[in-house]
Amino acid sequence: MWRGDFQREAKALWVALCVMTWALVGQAQPIQVVDDRGRTVVLPSPPQRVVSILPSLTETVCELQQCHRLVGVDRFSNWPASVESLPRVGGGIDPNIEAIVALRPDVVLVATSSRGTDRLESLGVRVVALEPKTHADVQRVMNTVAAVLGLPSGEAQRLWKRIEAGVDAAARSVPPTVRQTRVYFEVNRAPYAAGAASFIGETLTRLGAQNIIPPELGPFPKLNPEFVVRANPDVIMVGDRNFAGLTDRPGWSRIAAVQRQQLCVFSVDEANVIVRPGPRMAEGARLMADCLNRHLAP
Amino acid sequence: MKHAASPMALQAENLSVSLGQGRRLHPVLNHVDVAIHAGRWTSIVGPNGAGKSTLLRALAGLLPLQVGHVQLLGKDLATWSSRARAQTLAWLAQGGASDMGADDLLVRDVAMLGRLPHQGWLSPPSPKDLAVVEAALKKTHAWPWRDRPFGALSGGERQRVLLARLLAVQAEVLLMDEPLANLDPPHQADWIALVRDQVAEGGTVVSVLHEISMALLADDLIVMREGQVLYAGPAHQPEAHEAISAVFDHRLRIHSLGDRWVALPQ
Amino acid sequence: MQRTTWLAYGLFGAAAMLALLGLGVGSLGLEPIWVMLADPVAAQIVWDIRAPRTLGAWAAGALLGLAGAVAQGLFRNPLADPFLLGSASGASLAVALSLAALGVSPFAATWVIRLGLTGAAFVGAVAAVLLTLTLARGVQHTFRLLLAGVVVGMVLGALTSMVTIMVPEVLQAMQAFMLGSTGFVGWSAWSIMAVVGALCLVAAISLSKVLDGLSLGESTAQSLGLPLLPLRAALVAVIALATGTAVAQTGLIAFVGLAAPHLVRAVVKTTYSRLVGLSSLMGGLLLLSADLLARGLIAPQEIPVGVLTAILGGGYLLWLMHRRSS
Repeated sequence: MWRGDFQREAKALWVALCVMTWALVGQAQPIQVVDDRGRTVVLPSPPQRVVSILPSLTETVCELQQCHRLVGVDRFSNWPASVESLPRVGGGIDPNIEAIVALRPDVVLVATSSRGTDRLESLGVRVVALEPKTHADVQRVMNTVAAVLGLPSGEAQRLWKRIEAGVDAAARSVPPTVRQTRVYFEVNRAPYAAGAASFIGETLTRLGAQNIIPPELGPFPKLNPEFVVRANPDVIMVGDRNFAGLTDRPGWSRIAAVQRQQLCVFSVDEANVIVRPGPRMAEGARLMADCLNRHLAP
Repeated sequence: MKHAASPMALQAENLSVSLGQGRRLHPVLNHVDVAIHAGRWTSIVGPNGAGKSTLLRALAGLLPLQVGHVQLLGKDLATWSSRARAQTLAWLAQGGASDMGADDLLVRDVAMLGRLPHQGWLSPPSPKDLAVVEAALKKTHAWPWRDRPFGALSGGERQRVLLARLLAVQAEVLLMDEPLANLDPPHQADWIALVRDQVAEGGTVVSVLHEISMALLADDLIVMREGQVLYAGPAHQPEAHEAISAVFDHRLRIHSLGDRWVALPQ
Repeated sequence: MQRTTWLAYGLFGAAAMLALLGLGVGSLGLEPIWVMLADPVAAQIVWDIRAPRTLGAWAAGALLGLAGAVAQGLFRNPLADPFLLGSASGASLAVALSLAALGVSPFAATWVIRLGLTGAAFVGAVAAVLLTLTLARGVQHTFRLLLAGVVVGMVLGALTSMVTIMVPEVLQAMQAFMLGSTGFVGWSAWSIMAVVGALCLVAAISLSKVLDGLSLGESTAQSLGLPLLPLRAALVAVIALATGTAVAQTGLIAFVGLAAPHLVRAVVKTTYSRLVGLSSLMGGLLLLSADLLARGLIAPQEIPVGVLTAILGGGYLLWLMHRRSS
């Protein structure tokens, strides 16, 4: 029969139509996310022009393979190399409102502590504020960024699994003999240290190291240098910029780490990797694991 | 001593004033009674620390009184509204506005400040205000500099502008603390003529003067020492001269010179 | 009188011209103006970003100039600055506490977001002035008031440092606030400044007789029948309101309040009823010019406008000192 001949084709056509409609509708589905301010942000369609003014969020966008959607970044974002050619729109604290608006962004990714959020929103720009501080935060933020970009949720989870695997690998690379080493991580010269409650401290704990700063002191306590001398860490980790004169501090020559020259001085690039709670966490863990292995492996 | 017929412009009873704070609180006026006759020029004299300026301030209503009260034209000073009081009693401070606060005002503006008690809050100077200020500046021979900044004048010129400010109030009672500071003799003579004119028109003038010879030209004298009044009455009495000599430990003698008296150190 | 009118017109006209120029200064230069009609984003840049920012600079400068004139009259000191009563330190402490609270708990964060940093800065400025008044036990003694203001400023400044030590993440944000910027001024912020500015100007002009009377000393002012206590309190309120509003919108901008009255007096000698208005116009022009320089000198980057005013104002004061001593 005439009808019967075309039945299969008709079915296929019908299915194709359904899939296409579903795909189109799925594409036009508005995106709704709740950011770290508790604000619900609605995007009518996946954003094609994204501005990011927090380096860890820039890196997250790129690691989710959406680097091409970035049209502007802050002056501190420098990885991957392709973002260096993007227009700079100020920093997190002092974003250049005019420059951001001129880029016609569909969404702007900022830190919750950023200053221009209200102003941008009053100009009709959609702003999503995210600020990861702990490992748990990083996973959550990645999921949110993926949702903002309209990616299927599997993407973020895949990325997270890769990162976790990397951190585990770094932890495994540290032999049991090196575990329980007492570590002091100095963030800057005041001295501010990274405590066990901080993001960096969590990585160190994952690696099995012991932080001389107990969690009660908070994430980034300002210490009396005497505390470090008394705690007598086995390893000191510090950034290159803050290293000068560290060993000359009064009393510090008695510290085990200084006497045995067990000092890890990270270059500026390496320090950026460790300090940003973003997709390069695994690499940061590896850098710290290498440090521990280098100085303590028998 | 008192002229029973002449009314009192200012009267103070049982005035006690202490200045300073805490442990440094010291009595400056000790149960002082003072009566200023209307239509006369009274001069207050005495050595340093006698309490002359404090008495004058108390009479002007510028000091909070612990003990005693002051009456202006028969009515307790505390019951006068500040505006009515400001229109009736004008005060010239010691020191000639030397703290530079008025340096950037023009002379005419400084004199115009005297019209504040008569002006409304937001109103600019009225034609009457301008006329009164002009007359006052001319009287103290300060009119030629009316458009110069106050800070550009010499000490004596400034004092004359401040006197014009005082006259601009058109008050019945004028209280002046050391008004002759920085004035050279011709202008001191002008000042005396000014005071005489005030009194002739029925006004009352009270001045604290350091220059004893000038003070001796007044109608009445109040002689003070250490917070107490030793003499209050007409200036031409021998008791007055004796009191003046006494408060200065007799290091001073009053001499007669024609129709006036002159004080000279011994 | 004629000279003051000329000066007023001159200041207003210069400000108007610079304001028009301000529409063309920014990260994109003059380009948005040419394409304004065709391009809605360019129009937004010119009308919603540059225009309120430019006018906001003028309004903030006017507020600071007004407060400066009133402060110099009230304290009878040509070096009196509107921040003398501690309002700057109060605003800084409030901003530091708000930034610190943002990270502490979600509950605190929602309140901070609602109040906004500008609201916090304003509240802090006014609270600090009230503290100064309490310490000085009223407005009777100018010297005590000045001393209390300095003490409050130092103590609150120390507390702000403590907050930045305990919560180091706010340090950078505080630095941005301390340096001042018109970058976040929109139309609503401008209208707040305009309304408060008009109110303060009217209040200051009607109270200007007190300032004039005080120029001859406190005893003379009292003898002229001026009710010093309530009027001085009102003048302090004007200073607090004007500086608090300006600081809340633009952060700490130094020297405008100090220099504006001086510059006016260098041109005309007049009473406070006119000085207050002229000082506002001069302050507006000063900050407007500084803001244009800040935006245009190293475009597309910006210099914080507080840095420029400090350099320009500091230089002016040095020159003034040199002139007075020679």
